Amino acid sequence: MPEQSPEPGEDIIRSLATDERREMVPPDAASLQIAAVEAGPEISELTAKKGLGIGGWLAAIFLFLVIGSAIAAPILPIPDPKTDTTLPERRPDGTLPIVAAGPSLSHPFGLDATGHDVLSRTIWGARASLTIGFLSIGVGLTVGGFLGLISGYFKGKVGGFVGSILDILLAFPQLVLAIFVVEVLGHSVFYVTLALAIVATPVLARISRASTLSWSEREFVVAARAQGARHARVMWREVLPNTLPAMFSIALLSVAVVIVAEAGLAIVGAGVDPSVITWGNIIFAGQADLKASPHIVLAPSLVIFLTVLSLNYLGDAARARADVRESGL
Amino acid sequence: MRMILSKVFRLVVVLLIVSFLSFWFVKLIGGNDDLVTKMVPFSSQEEKDRIRDEIGLQDPFFQQYVRWLGNFVTGDWGQIYIGAGQTVDSIPVSEVVAKRLPVSLELMLYAQFLALFFAIPFGILTAYRANTKFDKATNITAFGMLALPQFVLALLLAIFVGARWGWLPTQSNVPNFPLNPLENWRFMLMPTIALATAQIAIYMRLLRSDMIATLQEDFITTAKAKGLPTRRVLLRHALRPSSLTLLTVAGLNVGALIGGAIVIERIFKVPGIGGELADAIFRQQTLEIQSLVVLIAFFYVILNFCVDIFYSVLDPRIRHARAVA
Repeated sequence: MPEQSPEPGEDIIRSLATDERREMVPPDAASLQIAAVEAGPEISELTAKKGLGIGGWLAAIFLFLVIGSAIAAPILPIPDPKTDTTLPERRPDGTLPIVAAGPSLSHPFGLDATGHDVLSRTIWGARASLTIGFLSIGVGLTVGGFLGLISGYFKGKVGGFVGSILDILLAFPQLVLAIFVVEVLGHSVFYVTLALAIVATPVLARISRASTLSWSEREFVVAARAQGARHARVMWREVLPNTLPAMFSIALLSVAVVIVAEAGLAIVGAGVDPSVITWGNIIFAGQADLKASPHIVLAPSLVIFLTVLSLNYLGDAARARADVRESGL
Repeated sequence: MRMILSKVFRLVVVLLIVSFLSFWFVKLIGGNDDLVTKMVPFSSQEEKDRIRDEIGLQDPFFQQYVRWLGNFVTGDWGQIYIGAGQTVDSIPVSEVVAKRLPVSLELMLYAQFLALFFAIPFGILTAYRANTKFDKATNITAFGMLALPQFVLALLLAIFVGARWGWLPTQSNVPNFPLNPLENWRFMLMPTIALATAQIAIYMRLLRSDMIATLQEDFITTAKAKGLPTRRVLLRHALRPSSLTLLTVAGLNVGALIGGAIVIERIFKVPGIGGELADAIFRQQTLEIQSLVVLIAFFYVILNFCVDIFYSVLDPRIRHARAVA
């Protein structure tokens, strides 16, 4: 570690990119990119002096609205996203006329090509997309965090072994691995979540490992070991609580990455089955006619952008809080 | 030298395991009959049997793997089966890859160039003027760019610049670069911007944080004290030692982009390797998907390996640390 005490994010990124221990684990782009968000100056600090600030509150309120409306979707007074309520009569030859319409008072996000209300679809889509996002990172963080803790703490054979397993998973470019898993297993919400969890696990393990490495040589950890504490206890009581703030912040950023990944998979045609409404699937369907009715893809895209922005902002604020603890030492 | 040898050994092991896992995974789930029926659902039974023989699906698993790997290493990456009515046509995957890989590489090159072109000056300036209004404004912008998913930017460009205003072409028949450079660039511009925007923010932030650390070093103070102009201090003395992380990440990104550009290639219908993968998914060509995935993974692993070697050659500290140990 360099002499100046860097921010935790820089700590992580430096040990990922320039650590001599890199010899054991080759670098990968994904964890570096997540860490890159953490390496810059804190955005929350640029815009607010203390606490969450206006931006932080806006981010929290927006996420609350998105999550809340997703949960409450069945009881909200919105048109059903699947029945064609406003569908006009079929043409004589049996085909449907194009009914896509831009935003209006009764349909703020407009109608899609089959007459579904886009706002309603976006709200229902949030259910699947957010479930996939939070669940896959929940799994990835638990498994990956644990593996990273083990391999960072036991640097010798155990660490090397766990590291090699992660290497294999990291050898696939992330999106390609996700596509491959979904193609082979199937296109259900469960398998897409599983695929993204499999992709996220080694990345989160890498970051957890880097963070563990930087903490497990601090004086208080060495002291605890010298006092005769068992490894499990040192890991659980001394190392883990210190890596958690940084990991929590990384987790928020990763949820954003996974939400984007779900949409990406859908656009490529390797996402959740099109009969399920997700943000990605709305965009996929809307791509058919970008010129005449761009609102179909723009509405969910805007919501995804704002969700990612909010998650990144809160992740960044969480890191700023972790920093305060650090400088208070 | 010993270090490089042990790395090469590791590389080979990783490649073997990657190929085995991919092969095994498809076999585990796919089921032999399903595989052929999925690829050419409407063909006659004789044709399906012929294809089964051709792929050698009746052989024991391990024999299949060894043959497949042997073929793969020697450049025979299997066939794409196209059911034309009762009969089945086939195209070698290698032929398709040979046509499409250059397009992907070209796009990647442009994206990296554009990203570094903007990121390096902004990284240097924000580090030099850290905590000024300029720095803050740039960083807030970069934060927004990081949150903007590539496909959202791509869709915005496709809708407005492409479809609505018609400034840039969105059709898929890109002329090759040597044939018509201008037309080629006009087509590649939007995918390039879509890919590069987030990279600009990442690279800038990385360079900025490394640069700030370098600017505190003694040799920078010395250079300033000698009376060198700021420009020279920043570009000649500070940039090189600060660019290691940036170069590493940029190198890794080249590998990541070859597969990661799938979404962008799909949106703009770029005839690259990612677009081909998306097509293969659409046509349910499980074997082609398998070949392409392994191919992309091989490319990625080998590229990471090169970055790793290059990195230790570039940074004398690492060379020395290893020589001492």
